[in-house]
Amino acid sequence: MEFMKYTFDVEKDDFVRAGEASSNIKRTLRELGIDSAIVRRIAIATYEAEMNIVIHSVGGQVELEIDPNSIKVTARDRGPGIPNIELAMQEGYSTASEKVREMGFGAGMGLPNMKKCTDRFTVESVYGEGTTITMEILLKAGD
Amino acid sequence: MDNKYFHSVILQEDRCIGCTSCLKVCPTEAIRLRDGKARIIGEKCIDCGECIRICPNHAKSAIADNYLDIIKKFKYTIAIPSLVLYGQFPSKTSIAQMLSAVKNLGFDEVYEATTGSEAITTVIANHILNKKHEKPLINSSCPAILRLIQIRFPDLLPNIIDIETPIEVTARIAKHEVSKRLGLDIKDIGVIFISPCTARVTSIRNPIGIERSYVDGVVSMKAVFGEILRNLGGSCKEQLVRSNSSSILWPIIGGQSRALGIENYLAVDGISEVIKVLEEIEMDKLDGLEFFEGVACLGGCVGGPLTIENSFISRNRIRTLAKSLPPAEYSKEYIDNSIKMYEDGLIRLTCEIEPRSIMRLDNDITKSIKKMEMIKEILKYLPGLDCGVCGAPTCKAFAEDIVRGENPRSVCLVKTMENFRNKKRN
Repeated sequence: MEFMKYTFDVEKDDFVRAGEASSNIKRTLRELGIDSAIVRRIAIATYEAEMNIVIHSVGGQVELEIDPNSIKVTARDRGPGIPNIELAMQEGYSTASEKVREMGFGAGMGLPNMKKCTDRFTVESVYGEGTTITMEILLKAGD
Repeated sequence: MDNKYFHSVILQEDRCIGCTSCLKVCPTEAIRLRDGKARIIGEKCIDCGECIRICPNHAKSAIADNYLDIIKKFKYTIAIPSLVLYGQFPSKTSIAQMLSAVKNLGFDEVYEATTGSEAITTVIANHILNKKHEKPLINSSCPAILRLIQIRFPDLLPNIIDIETPIEVTARIAKHEVSKRLGLDIKDIGVIFISPCTARVTSIRNPIGIERSYVDGVVSMKAVFGEILRNLGGSCKEQLVRSNSSSILWPIIGGQSRALGIENYLAVDGISEVIKVLEEIEMDKLDGLEFFEGVACLGGCVGGPLTIENSFISRNRIRTLAKSLPPAEYSKEYIDNSIKMYEDGLIRLTCEIEPRSIMRLDNDITKSIKKMEMIKEILKYLPGLDCGVCGAPTCKAFAEDIVRGENPRSVCLVKTMENFRNKKRN
C-alpha cells in the first residue's frame, strides 16, 4: 500500500517559524487531493499541537503519515511532560498566567480542540520526559 | 472563443525575452517558460495582472474590446467608468467634467459606478448582516480574489457574500432604468465598462456566480485614457453627479468596510498579503471577525494593472473629491427597493461558486501519494535555489511538472553545471 511520511522540527520559543509545519501539511494534503474540510480539520489540530510544542516544551517534532485510508499526525516533544493529563484535557484548563490569558492566549482549548477535530486522539505523557500526541483522521473511500 | 480557458492576460511573444520575472510573482504558479517564452497555464491563471505589472519589457498585456465596434451594435449605449477613473486626472478636474468627457467618446449616457456600490452597501448593511451567515463575510467585489478562493481556499467559499459587483449592479440598474425611461428593449441597450482591472475583463466574459453579465463590452482604462483626457475641456453643465462621500471610496482599500460601518473588519490589499490572512481565517484564528475585505491590487482597485496614475496619488485625489460630496443618506424606499432587487435575484449571485481543485496531483489518492513520493525523490537531487532558469518558478514546481508529465525535456542547469564541475575535478 502507498504510504508517505514527512517530519518537521519544531523549536521551543521559535514564534517566527511557528505554524510552518501545519502550513506545509495543509499544502501537502491539498495537493494529494484530500477533501478540503478534512484538510482544514487536520491543519487546525496540527497548528494547536505545533503551538503547544513552541510554547510549553523544550522542542520536538511533528510527523505526518499518510496512506489511502487515513492521515495521522504525531506531535512529539522532549519534555517536560504534562503532570495531569485529565486536568489538561478539560476545556478551559490552562497553565497560562492571568496576564497571558488577558492577551487572548492560553484559553485552555488546545487539547480539547485537537480531540474535536480528529477521529482518533491519544495523548501520552511522562512527566520529566515528554509528551506524544497522536491524531488520526480516517479517509472514506473516494476522498 | 474557448470560454473555459478565456483569459484577459496575454503574452506578446516578440517582446518576451524569457527573463523569469513573471514566474516569481505569479501567486498561483501559473507561468512556465517554454522555449524561452513565458506560457500561461490557463486553468491556473486567476487574471490578477501581477505579471503585467512586473514585466520589464511590457510583454504581458490584457485583451479588451474596442468600444467603437460595440457602440455600433446597439441602439443606445451607456458607459460605466470605474470609480478609479476619478483618480486619474489632476485634482482640479471635477467628476462632472470627467463623466462628460467619457460620454463624449460617443456614448448616449454615462452611469456612475456608485449606482452599484450604493445599492450593495445598502443591501449588505440592512439585510445580509442581519442574516445567519458564515463569518467573516468575504467581499465578492474582487474577481481575482474570488478565483483565488476557488483554487486555494475552497472551504471559505460559503463566506463570500452572494451579491454582484458594483459594475454588474450598475449595469443592471442602468439597463432597467433606461429601458423604462425610453421604452427601449433591454437587448437594444449596450453597456460598456471602462476597467482598471484585468480580472474584471475576464469575469465579464466568463462570469463567476451568475449566468451572464449585463456588461456588453470592456475597455481598458489605459487604452482610452488619452481620448478622455483630450475631451476634458468640453461643457459639462447637464452632467449630474450622484456619488456620495462614502460610496465613492469603494475602489480604495477599506472603503467598503467603512461604508458598511462594520467595527470588526480587516481590509487587506495585495494578493500575497491576502493569501496570508486567508490562511489565518481558514485556520479559525481570527475569532470574532465580521467582515474581510480582500483586494488583489495594492491600494485597492486604484492599483489595478490597467491604470495610468500611481495608486497612492489617485487614492489621495479620490479622497479629496469625496470631501466635496454629500454624506450617504438612503431613504427607506431606496433601502427596501435595493433589498427587493437582491431578493428577486437581479443583483444577487444566483449560481454557486464551485471549488476548483487544480492543485491536486491525481484524482485517485493512491496515485496521488505515489506521485508525491516521486516529487519528494526528485527534490532530493535539485539545488533548492528556486532560480527559475529551468522555466518553473520553484524546484518543487519543476519536480511536479515532471511527475505530471508536463515537461519531459526539462533540465536543471544548476545541477548540470555542478555535475560538470565535479567531473572536471575528478
